[in-house]
Amino acid sequence: MFYKSSDHLTPVSVEEYHRISTLLAKEYRILDEERFSDWLDLLHPEIHYWMPGIENRRRENPLEYGFFDSKHMAYFDDAIRDIKRRVSRFSQPSAWAENPGTRNVHIVAGIEAFYGEEAGEYCVYSTFQNIRSRGLDEEYIFSGRRYDTWSLVDGVLKLKKRLILMPNATLTCKNINTFI
Amino acid sequence: MANRIKTIDITDALPDIDDFCDIPNARISGEIFHRQDIYEQELEKIFARCWLFVGHESQFKKAGDYITTTMGEDDVIIVRQKNGSHKAFINACPHRGNKVCFSESGNARGFICNYHGWSFNIEGNLIGQHESGIYESSQFDASKWGLREVAQIDSYKGLIFATFDAQAPSLEEYLGPMTWYLDALFDNQEGGTEFVGGCIRSTMDCNWKIAAENFVGDILHAGWTHDSAARAMLGGAVSKVSDFEESYSVNWNGHGYEFALDTVGNVAVLGESALNKYLHTIKPSVIDRLGEFRANMIGSVSSCTIFPNFSFLPGQNTVRIWQPRGPNKIELFTWVVVNKTAPEDIKEKWRKGAMITFSPTGVFEMDDGENWEYCTKTARGRVTSQQDLFVGLGMDTYLEETDLPANVYSGQLNEANSRAFYQYWGDLLKSPSWDAMPNNNKGKAKAGPKASQISDKTDGIGEK
Amino acid sequence: MKRVFLCNVSELSVNTVRKVDNAEHGDIAVYNLSGQYYATADLCSHATASLAEGDIEDDLIVCPVHWGTFHIPTGEARDFPCEINIRTYKVEQEGDDLFALIADKAEDPSLIAKG
Repeated sequence: MFYKSSDHLTPVSVEEYHRISTLLAKEYRILDEERFSDWLDLLHPEIHYWMPGIENRRRENPLEYGFFDSKHMAYFDDAIRDIKRRVSRFSQPSAWAENPGTRNVHIVAGIEAFYGEEAGEYCVYSTFQNIRSRGLDEEYIFSGRRYDTWSLVDGVLKLKKRLILMPNATLTCKNINTFI
Repeated sequence: MANRIKTIDITDALPDIDDFCDIPNARISGEIFHRQDIYEQELEKIFARCWLFVGHESQFKKAGDYITTTMGEDDVIIVRQKNGSHKAFINACPHRGNKVCFSESGNARGFICNYHGWSFNIEGNLIGQHESGIYESSQFDASKWGLREVAQIDSYKGLIFATFDAQAPSLEEYLGPMTWYLDALFDNQEGGTEFVGGCIRSTMDCNWKIAAENFVGDILHAGWTHDSAARAMLGGAVSKVSDFEESYSVNWNGHGYEFALDTVGNVAVLGESALNKYLHTIKPSVIDRLGEFRANMIGSVSSCTIFPNFSFLPGQNTVRIWQPRGPNKIELFTWVVVNKTAPEDIKEKWRKGAMITFSPTGVFEMDDGENWEYCTKTARGRVTSQQDLFVGLGMDTYLEETDLPANVYSGQLNEANSRAFYQYWGDLLKSPSWDAMPNNNKGKAKAGPKASQISDKTDGIGEK
Repeated sequence: MKRVFLCNVSELSVNTVRKVDNAEHGDIAVYNLSGQYYATADLCSHATASLAEGDIEDDLIVCPVHWGTFHIPTGEARDFPCEINIRTYKVEQEGDDLFALIADKAEDPSLIAKG
């Protein structure tokens, strides 16, 4: 995806890897179970949750990060207030498009975990696939890669930064009515 | 040199247009969202003839800056020339038809076809090929084989439009007095507007007209469809549109703009008080520039479609095209528009605010997409598609006595614009040429002297 | 060795190139790179194109047709699709006049411009 991550980070211990990888699995389980308030509990109050739009550009005309740019349009470019607003909309009785509800499966794979630059911070890379079904026959599948920073707050890991990159320059469905 | 496109032949009209588009009786049929033969007629008689939005001047900063988009289902390249003008070409090589530009935007010296190395400069001229010797020995005339240039291209206040039809009326005539209203968003400050970088593209399994008609004049859906989003963004229900003292639906040539005069009703749903404040801060200068009436429109509860498929929401500042991709599918291109002179932090809040409300992850758009897809899907039913659909709200709301330009109707809870949209659509499907198009415009082609100050308090018009 | 008149210095502003017709040896492109004068064959060695219609980028001339490049001082082909070097000529200045020195035969056969 032409975003270049650092190769100079130190991998975490086996115990820490276990802790982080089970946390990512748990995060996706609670999203699939529509436990939004539990999911919000995993987020750092200063979170930057970012899924930039992907632009199909020639190699000699790269954007700030090749296919994307921090000043350009984004699917998500959220602070905690924005995420809470999205959750609030899902939770309204008048969220017509969520009744009947959307059925989600989130899959995480290829987890790599490293010590971050700051003490108590971890850089966590992973790939994901999200499968959604709505109504009787709608199915939407999309995949991508995530670059996370998790930070220890009072001994508990909180998601402080997440960059979500999907390969698609055109989202081939009507929305992304979930978190990744 | 670049070569003008060959005009396509206009086939006979469908025999049953009055059956599925019967506006005098305020009814349409769902088959207009489903039938392949109607869709093919649309590509020919609407998308190959009308002026279509292709880009904003701010997307092109220097010569060779280009974007690729589509006009109907035709791929086109828009590229800025050395003299600052813009040209639009069919994005297909005249040799075997391969696409010559695959990138969605960038800067280029020209376009080289990957297939046989035909090379075109930004003016569209064919300037060479790989193995050039064989062309020379075949008496090849390069001047006849440039990129195919659209028939007409023109712009209004930064908005660039193009048409494949040399016979189409000028852009000025096509937009008519709608430009007076467009200024409320696109020219409320010196310097006009610019697009934020990027373009979000997504697809919906809906007919393009449902989306275009939603923006042409359907505020009625907002209070119900978007209740959840409004509560999430505002912490309460959206303002009740029927409570507005004064609002209008105006249309011309199938374009339509519905609006209240509450200044900030649309911008408020972004949940950023700084944006409301910005509009209030610039409002005195907008009054000086455009008059009080339009100064009340800059971020009010409102929406607009320029026929056929270019739409925007003032306040949310989302701009989009509903690209037709078959009767049951659209590709949605969205941009964010901001005043060029707005402070950077204000532009940034609009970039994020437009996306969190109106984009594939936007809390408002999610409920729209669901509605539009199922309006389309039910029309699959052979019997269902033949049933009448109602477009009859506000049949007696036309305002004869007003200085406001265009065809003016009182009230924005009104299907007058939807009827005008479908009337124009049906007329185009019937008409073999522009000359044969009936003129259904009955309002003023230019704003009257009192238009800029007009309000129900001063001259008694308005719905109450 | 032939001495061929190219153009006047005053006709060649800084960082520009112009084409000089020459039926005998092939057309010549003459360049002014920051006050230093160079001459190369004008015909691209890939496909029919006049290099003088291309853009100068640093010390490279970009072919206007397929955007390959040549190094102006040495004639070396640098970027795809240009792979055959082009001929270069020594330039002499005499007052306001620029001349190219053209050897009867190119010293290096690989530097003979196509055509």
